[in-house]
Amino acid sequence: MFNYYLKLGWLSIRRNPLLSALMVAAIAVGIGACMTTITVNYLMSGNPIPHKSDQLFYVQLDNWDPNVQSDDPLEPPDQVTYTDAMALIQSAPAFRQVASNRSGLVLEPGDEDELPFNVQSRNTFADFFPMFDLPFLYGSGWDDDADAAMERVVVLSRETNERVFGGEDSVGRNVRMNGMNFRIVGVLDQWHPVPKFYDLTNGDFNDPEDVFIPFNVAIEYQLPRNGNTNCWKAPDGEGFEGFLNSECVFIQFWAELRTEAEKQEYMSFLDAYAEQQKLLGRFPRPLNNRLSNVVEWMKIQEVVADDAQVMLGLSLLFLLVCLLNTIGLLLAKFLGKSGDIGLRRALGASKPTLFVQHMVESGLIGLAGGVVGLGLAALGLWGVKVLFGDDLEYLVRMDWVMILTGIGLAIASALLASIYPTWRACQVAPAGQLKTQ
Amino acid sequence: MLSMKNISMVYRTDLVETHALREFSLDVDEGDFVSVTGPSGSGKTTFLNIAGLLEQFTSGTYELDGRDVSQLNDTERSKVRNEKIGFIFQGFNLIPDLNLFDNVDVPLRYRGFSAGDRKRRIERVLDMVGLASRMKHLPSQLSGGQQQRVAIARALAGDPRFLLADEPTGNLDSQMAMSVMELISDINRFGTTIIMVTHDPALAELAGRNVHIRDGRVSDIGEDTQIVAAAHG
Amino acid sequence: MELGPIWRALMRNKIGAILIALQIAVTLAIMVNAVSIIQERARLMARPSGLDEHNIFHISSVGFAPDFNERATIEEDLIALRGLPGVVDAFQSNSVPLSDGGWSMGLQTEPGEEIDGTGVAVYFIDEHGLNTYGVNLLAGENFSATDVDWRQRSEHEWPDKTLITRAMAETLFPDDPDGALGKAVYINDDEPITITGIIEQMQAPWNSWSGVERVMLVPQHTLFGATRYIIRTEPGRRDELMPVVEKLLAEREKGRIVRSMRSMDETRMESYRGDDSMIKMLKFTVSLLIAITAMGIVGLASFSVNRRTKQIGTRRALGAPKSAILRYFMAENLIISLVGVALGAALAIGLNMWMVETFSLTRLNAWLLPVAMLLLCLVGQLAVLGPARKAASVPPAVATRTV
Repeated sequence: MFNYYLKLGWLSIRRNPLLSALMVAAIAVGIGACMTTITVNYLMSGNPIPHKSDQLFYVQLDNWDPNVQSDDPLEPPDQVTYTDAMALIQSAPAFRQVASNRSGLVLEPGDEDELPFNVQSRNTFADFFPMFDLPFLYGSGWDDDADAAMERVVVLSRETNERVFGGEDSVGRNVRMNGMNFRIVGVLDQWHPVPKFYDLTNGDFNDPEDVFIPFNVAIEYQLPRNGNTNCWKAPDGEGFEGFLNSECVFIQFWAELRTEAEKQEYMSFLDAYAEQQKLLGRFPRPLNNRLSNVVEWMKIQEVVADDAQVMLGLSLLFLLVCLLNTIGLLLAKFLGKSGDIGLRRALGASKPTLFVQHMVESGLIGLAGGVVGLGLAALGLWGVKVLFGDDLEYLVRMDWVMILTGIGLAIASALLASIYPTWRACQVAPAGQLKTQ
Repeated sequence: MLSMKNISMVYRTDLVETHALREFSLDVDEGDFVSVTGPSGSGKTTFLNIAGLLEQFTSGTYELDGRDVSQLNDTERSKVRNEKIGFIFQGFNLIPDLNLFDNVDVPLRYRGFSAGDRKRRIERVLDMVGLASRMKHLPSQLSGGQQQRVAIARALAGDPRFLLADEPTGNLDSQMAMSVMELISDINRFGTTIIMVTHDPALAELAGRNVHIRDGRVSDIGEDTQIVAAAHG
Repeated sequence: MELGPIWRALMRNKIGAILIALQIAVTLAIMVNAVSIIQERARLMARPSGLDEHNIFHISSVGFAPDFNERATIEEDLIALRGLPGVVDAFQSNSVPLSDGGWSMGLQTEPGEEIDGTGVAVYFIDEHGLNTYGVNLLAGENFSATDVDWRQRSEHEWPDKTLITRAMAETLFPDDPDGALGKAVYINDDEPITITGIIEQMQAPWNSWSGVERVMLVPQHTLFGATRYIIRTEPGRRDELMPVVEKLLAEREKGRIVRSMRSMDETRMESYRGDDSMIKMLKFTVSLLIAITAMGIVGLASFSVNRRTKQIGTRRALGAPKSAILRYFMAENLIISLVGVALGAALAIGLNMWMVETFSLTRLNAWLLPVAMLLLCLVGQLAVLGPARKAASVPPAVATRTV
């Protein structure tokens, strides 16, 4: 029976090509607009590391000024101090932990003819690579001993390795940065988490860094920082030492805690540590430590831009207008079919049967509208990319979830729009339309 | 009052030339009740459209109240229809979304009467056809006969020079048909000129005068009477 | 004009009218809010930065060689830059307005830890800074060469003097902004710093910051390893001089790389790119929306006219001239549009209130609503013109047809 309905639907669509085309267009435009904004929002809010996002926690300690708010009232600052980061690394009970920040370095390629160029460096600890599941093309990350010994080792991104070594296996070779030699221990494969969840203080959708070096090395050689540094009071001491011992925050801190028990244990440690620091005269504000998993942290940092949400809302309303249009078109179409319907009723079709038949037809139109709409959405996403530039390159890709969502939304919308017109058309009395007047 | 002389109506398409009316002439005086009969395809409808200024004819002259209405433009023709002619259609042609009051009101609005004037006229004619009490009802709530009566009221509301009726009982059962015909006869008795187009000879007999059209011309009624008699045989 | 019967007829056959009215309502709601956002963004983008933007560009210098002498490099770079023909002036700084990265501190009018400072953006300049930016000094004096010293990376003490923007003066001393001149303010809770001049306007690096007009200038060269040079050229010579400067600096000293050369125009464009894109997207959406609604009206009106062909013929037979038929449908559409825009106005306000609440958008401009309502009614009338004219051309003879 369903096949029969499909056939009838197709014939009916064909019989009225202009009207059908208009209906498909009306739905397609609405779906196109919606899927463009839905895709961007979906990717912005997408979980970049779903298989362990609830085991990775961003750590916040409240060392801030009792007299003023840092970003938000009652919110601890969004980074930690050097003192606290080191203390946690030393003693906090976690499966894995990392402190990290960013630097801007200058890489001098071995070749004399090549000009030196700027690279972004992520300064971090050995646990970074297994914690965030970075994929390796060659070699691996470094180990805890290298951190402790402040070895000058480096992991290159795939793109950096391409640029400097032509993509070869460069493990074991050296690369010169800021006048110092670093030994390559690993080369990453393609890695571009969207958003850049591990550092949301410096551009939520930026590219990941070009090189990775041990945090302790960056500190030891006072490599230039490239991130946000916030201080609520001037350092007490002088120079770099004074800075490290100050209340200035400039470090992002993550802990991997596999179970609820581990999380509780860690939280207890944080609280105890904070109490201890209070006794030393630090942490003047009330106890306010935070552990946020990846999704929570992304929400707190408001990764999904307001503008993206506004556009989503507007395009849903836009779809509504398109649907109202579709209802009108369907009414017009079904009026012309009243003869057919009356005949079928006279021949014994019940109202529900006819209702289903015409809903199937609407579903077909919805399907067509969805397909065309996805094409329009692809166009829309390309337009978004052109407007916003390459920053959004990773936010304008359609995956299967989005494609199915688009088709589903189109069919659902078409069915919704056709409920009233179909119901009304089926009210035709069996014999009423059979006379010629 | 009404004088059509040698009216011809030719429909031309690329392939075919149809002569719907040939050299048709008709004079109607004040107070006349004329029936125009003829078989299907004889040109009755064309005559109706021309008499009612619904269509323009190819050649001939048409005078109404001494005024030549042959060459009027669309707006002028509309005005003449509005002021001088009252239509009664086979299918009643009431506007389904309007109640009886608003339906009768339609031609009066184009006339430019004041609101009070219109109200008086509408109430008067609806009363005349016996439907004043149902002024606020919709046509769908009335029987066929009642709907035709409303249509007649609408035709009379503007005090037209003549009524032009097209198969007024065509869509009615015999009982309703009789009552409508009685109404029409009464109206004529009160002095209104009536031109009625019909194919029903029994209906035609109610009129004072009969004009028979065949193949677009006025024909000798004798020829067709035999055929009709044979059909009723 | 038979408004009463038109309305009563509409009431008995509401669906087509409701569909059009709803479309108009939702379109109005979207349109008004979108235009409101566009206006707000355009306003933001139009704010001047206080600089002679068209003739200014900047370039970064990052030292890397172990023997890199930053101080000597900066001194010699500046001499070379200022000596270039076509260059009006140049100086070295930590960041640039609208560049999205920079320093902020807090200044307070009284010393003390417990007092909340006012956030202010900090730029390090020398005695050539004001001239390079083309900024007006409203009161007081520019820094002299002797005022300017050298700041090491982890230094946290500040010079004695500062120049602040008028906006900062107004925030610090709301009752007497002009009196700010000569006063001491406190940085880092209790370190005094004297206001020796007030400049007309300069913007902070962050264009969406509420304090974007609050800037303080301090007389220091920075030795942070990486720095930025800001160069002002004679009018019209910027594009020609940019590659010249890049080459000059790159060749002069090999222990550093030069990168990220941008004109201020480009910097502004980048800074507001998100807003500009939003404006473009909204304009496109609104245009499309109006087009769709107009087409929807054309479609529904055509449908409605077709459905009533018999009725139209009857009216013509009863004496309606073509103009009356045209006016009927135009009037009917106007009534529907009026209902639509009335409903739409309510929706628009509701939507705006919600967006102000949720996204901190600005309230919409009062006059926007009536203009948009008028516009949509006009669009509706234009859209229905075609179908109305088709209706008017229905021949009176339709009334006598029996099929």
